[in-house]
Amino acid sequence: MAERPEDLNLPNAVITRIIKEALPDGVSISKEARSAISRAASVFVLYATSCANNFAMKGKRKTLNASDVLSAMEEMEFQRFVTPLKEALEAYRREQKGKKEASEQKKKDKDKKTDSEEQDKSRDEDNDEDEERLEEEEQNEEEEVDN
Amino acid sequence: MAAVATGNGAFQEEEGTGGDAAAPQPHAPTSAPGARLSRLPLARVKALVKADPDVTLAGQEAIFILARAAELFVETIAKDAYCCAQQGKRKTLQRRDLDNAIEAVDEFAFLEGTLD
Repeated sequence: MAERPEDLNLPNAVITRIIKEALPDGVSISKEARSAISRAASVFVLYATSCANNFAMKGKRKTLNASDVLSAMEEMEFQRFVTPLKEALEAYRREQKGKKEASEQKKKDKDKKTDSEEQDKSRDEDNDEDEERLEEEEQNEEEEVDN
Repeated sequence: MAAVATGNGAFQEEEGTGGDAAAPQPHAPTSAPGARLSRLPLARVKALVKADPDVTLAGQEAIFILARAAELFVETIAKDAYCCAQQGKRKTLQRRDLDNAIEAVDEFAFLEGTLD
């Protein structure tokens, strides 16, 4: 499927929302302007990717990482993005760490739950055995009485 | 132990001995927007990144930063275009405002010829 890179657009609704929040109240945007901004954003990502990739190759790496993208921003003369991006990265890393810990905790809780369920099960079995013994003792008593 | 009265008049109960008595502390706010961190869907950004034939792999953090950078870019270009519209005393951003911004701002030079 031959897709032109420009066809990979970002969702219109999100783009519109970002634009509206950046502009003062009461300002609207024409459809043509909005779709042009959307396309511009896609071109921006492609350009940034290509720049970042150069940095990755310079570092003899095959995987793009965060610092490659930050270096690309500076290269593209978007230094003003670097600080907010670094902050966003910190927040993202914290969130990822939190998610990981949360899923590990869930797993631990799940294990604990299955352990306690097994304990309950074995307790029930013990009770059954006790009841049987009691019945036997009663029978014995009756026999004795008969004798 | 008697309850301790605080300065503002509200009584504070003594702290529970076990962890059971205390209310669970919220650690990582789960309702907190991962949405606030990035509104653009990472999957679409990833598709754009993969469209580059020279790119082998991209880490999750890289995709996230690209998404966030694209958002900042949209905000920036919208504001710059708005300056042009304001000068024309218009309240609707038009395509020509965008073109003017691209011509006027050096950083947007890479966009020239790409939006047609």
